[in-house]
Order: sequence, then structure tokens, then C-alpha cells
Amino acid sequence: MFRHNALRYAVLVVLLAAALFQAFTAEYFGLEILTEILILAILVLALDIVAGFGGMVSLCHGALMGVGAYAYALLSAKAGIAPPLAMAGAVALTGVTAWAIGAICSRSHGIYFIMATLAFGQMAYSYVFEALVFGGDDGLGGIARLDLGLFGIDLNDSRSFALFCLAALGAVYGAAVLILRSGLGRSLSGVMHNEQRMRALGLTVWRVKADVFGLSGMIAGLAGALAAQHIMYISPGLLSWTVSGEALVVVILGGLGTLVGPLVGAAAFVVLKHELSGLTSYWHLVVGVILIAVVMSRANGIFGWIEARWGDRIERRVADATRKPEPEEATSDA
Amino acid sequence: MLETRNLDKSFGAVHVTRNVSMKLERGERRVILGPNGAGKTTFFNQLVGELSPDGGSVHLAGEDVTALPVAKRARRGLSRSYQKNTLFDGLTVEENLGLAAAVHTGKATRLWSDSLADPEVREIVEEVAEQVNLMPHIHAKVSQISYGVRRQLEVGVALATRPLVLLMDEPTSGVGPEMSKRFHALLNNLPRDLTMLIIEHDMDLAFDVADTITVLNYGEVVFDGLPEQARGSKLLKDIYLGSWEDA
Repeated sequence: MFRHNALRYAVLVVLLAAALFQAFTAEYFGLEILTEILILAILVLALDIVAGFGGMVSLCHGALMGVGAYAYALLSAKAGIAPPLAMAGAVALTGVTAWAIGAICSRSHGIYFIMATLAFGQMAYSYVFEALVFGGDDGLGGIARLDLGLFGIDLNDSRSFALFCLAALGAVYGAAVLILRSGLGRSLSGVMHNEQRMRALGLTVWRVKADVFGLSGMIAGLAGALAAQHIMYISPGLLSWTVSGEALVVVILGGLGTLVGPLVGAAAFVVLKHELSGLTSYWHLVVGVILIAVVMSRANGIFGWIEARWGDRIERRVADATRKPEPEEATSDA
Repeated sequence: MLETRNLDKSFGAVHVTRNVSMKLERGERRVILGPNGAGKTTFFNQLVGELSPDGGSVHLAGEDVTALPVAKRARRGLSRSYQKNTLFDGLTVEENLGLAAAVHTGKATRLWSDSLADPEVREIVEEVAEQVNLMPHIHAKVSQISYGVRRQLEVGVALATRPLVLLMDEPTSGVGPEMSKRFHALLNNLPRDLTMLIIEHDMDLAFDVADTITVLNYGEVVFDGLPEQARGSKLLKDIYLGSWEDA
């Protein structure tokens, strides 16, 4: 089951401080990068829940994000539904879609699960690419952001939108922790450790997997709805398997099954991408080399590496610092 | 409580169980004996639904459960432990028991609460931990406890589903004489109304715990009777007990 430790709290505080600093000090370009990181972080949290805590390595989370983006665009721009309702609808629709995919794919394992999710993702991509209602390969534009004028917030301002995405990421992180600490989350952990035994105990394993996949899909859908509002334009490329692959790279780069790691991975990936793409158009090669180094080091990503080296030490120091002195110690100190 | 009628299973040309019929009354403790390859574990796998029989039927509490999948049989009260530890290695003893108790109490799929914090689940966890002597290890991870304690946990996890019938596949497999004695006491201290079917090679345990004994040989029931009758059976001595009797 997911647990926080001192190091995880420390990294979360550092990440939050860095995000707030960037949000309040950066100019337009810096704010765009921050928003990109935050939306990617939401997507990779969704992926980490299923892949890191349920052993369901999905290659359709990019497509699920696309479902959320297109649903929001169609509901708000085409159907004229108020953006908050359109956003809720997009999240719900993506959740239902993900639940159905999870229910079907949950009967397969390992490479077969990956291939089945990839097939669903590519089917969605191909359909959206061809269907005129989705704008075909031209995509859809004119997507409005939420109107939070009631609260005196203008989300068309990049800084406000970045802070809105940060709040959304915070809420998603909290929800992910609650999911993983719930009865459903514990059962998911049991299924990942020993599916056969969970079934023998009486658990309907496919249902647990489908439910968690559905919840993860809702989070991916939220990332999609935010991505659509961020760029105000969407294209079928959002559903491509490369987006799912990139999300998986980020989760592995950061630290699978840690929740905190994928946040680190999202920040590292987007910063690397922007820094390296300014130097060379072959930036993917550099990211690839880094990913290979991370995998070959047998560490669980960047955060896993940090945790393996300093996690125990920090935990001991915190325990020592918070330990109440024994009566004898207290007397001798006095 | 548990009945099989003419249970039959083949793998290709190998006939693994041949028309096995058996009836366990409520609270009965039956030990299945038989040499390696007699079809004991295959028989268990058919009882719990991990294997489908080619013929015959399985009845639990008067209902035909032959067509039900593993999870549904488990929810109806059929629980098993495995010959090889089949635990949740990365989790603690408490979490292992908690998973089983949560499934039994219907808290395993709740999204709004932690199943292990649920009073009903906690009560089962603590009660089972006491029953199988796991309280001293309750917060230890499975990877940190000894093999013998893992065997206790293996039985504990099965017990935490509050079964009507507990199937145990060689519960003392691989444990030393001291731990084996502790297992005798542990099994004898389980509630008397719990129906138990045990595959066992440990003769002392078999005769200590069993109300009735069934012997399988080449997938067939060759003996079905009381422990005293088993001790004096020449057939048993010939096919299985010779070395034990002579010792």
C-alpha cells in the first residue's frame, strides 16, 4: 500500500515551492512550460496508479487523455454546454471509456495487456483522425477555458491558468493517495502481488482492475480537458500511442509506483525537452540515453534512486528527532 | 457440508482423479493421504474451481457449485491454503490477513474508506492472528518472517475469509518437528464447527487431527474410514504406510 515517508514529503514540498516560485515569477514562456509540466504530471499520476500499483502497464492513457480533450471540446464548443459541466462530462465520459477498456483488458496480463491497451488507443486515434465530427486531421479549435470570473479569476491569463492547473494537480494527487489507501487500493495492491490468491479469497479481480482503470481514466480525462483549454486547440495527435509511450517513459524516469516519482519525472522530462530541443533536434536521443541509464542502473527511476540512497537515512534521523527521551535520559540531561 | 460425486479428471492419457466421491459433514476433519502423484492436489484444485473436472460434481452446503468460478466458491465459504506459500510478499502479516478479511466483509472494493481500519476487518485480523499465533509478527513484512511463520500465515489468510470449509494442502510442508508440533496444536485449537479437509504427509499430524481419513492412489479412493482403521489397514501399509509402520 502507498505510504508517505519523510523524503516523499520533503520532495513534495520542494516541488510545490518550485512550482509556486515559477508561477509567480516566470514570464509567459516559463508559465507555458510550467502548465505543460503540470498537465503531464496529472496524466502520469493516472498512469502510475494503474501501472505502478496495479501492474497494468497501459499504452492507451494518451488516448484516454485525448478522449477527455475531445469530449470537453465537443461539449463546450459544439454542444454549447457550460465549460464546468463540459469538464465534468469529459471526466465522466473518459472514466466510463476507461472502465470498459479495463474490464476487457483485465483478463490479460503482461505484454498481452500492453498490446490490448495499445490496440484500443490506436483504434481511438484512427477513428478521431477520420471522423469529421472530430474535425479529422485538422482537429478542433476555438476551445474556451473555464470562466472563474465569479471568483475574480481570469483563466485566460497564463499565470492564473498555471495556478489553476497546480490546484488541479494537488487535488488529483490527494485523490490518488485516497484511492490507494482505500479498500479498493489495498485490493489492487493484493492483485498486483498475487492475483491468484486474491481470486481464491473471493475477490472479483477483473472488477477491481476495471474500477481502478476507470478512476485512472477519469484523471487522464481531466488532464485532457486541461490540455484542450491550455492550447485551445486539439488534434488527433493527442491520442497517438507516442503520447502514451511518452507518459510511460516519464513514469519510469521518475519512479514507478511512488506517485512522487512521476511528478519528478514530468518536471525533468519537460525541462529536458525544452532545453535540449533548443540545442538539437535530436533531443529524443538524449532522453533515450538517460532512460537507458536509469533502467540499467536498476534504480526505480530518479526518485527511486534518491529514495534508495537517502530514504532510510532521512527516516532514521526523523525518527531520532521525534523520539521522546527515555526517563533516564531526561533525568541525566537535567 | 462438502460433497463430491464421481469427480473425474484426465490430462491427456493420464487419469488423475477417477470417480472420486467424498462427503464431509459439518465440523468433520478429514485428512487425505496418498503417495506423490496420487492426485491429491489436483483433487483440491477441482474442489475450489482452479481446475474444471471432466465429469462429476462438487456440492457445497447442499448446492452444486461445479460451474462456479474460484471467487464465487470462495465467497460461498470454500477457502484453501496452498502447499507452496502463496502470500502477498511485499505486505505485512496484518495486511495479508486484512486483505482476506476485507474480501469476506465486503470492504475490499470500498473507495471511501481504508478496509484495514474497518472495525469488522480489524476484529477478524486480530482473532485470526491469535488463532494462528501470529500476533508477535503482526507488523512484520512477509519477507521478514521465517518459513514456519509463513506457513502459519498461509493458513491464517485462508481462515480470515471465515470459511465454512477450510482446505489445507500440506500445511506442515517443509517445517521442522518443533514447528510441526505447534501446527498440531494450532489445528486442534481451531473452532470445532469448522469443516476441514487436509492433504498431509505428516502421519503424526494426520492421526492427531483427523476424524476420518481418505487415501488416494492413482487418483482413486482406496480407503475411507476412521484413523484407527487406517492404522490397521494392510492395503494402506502396502501402498503408503509401510515405511511409517516399520519405523
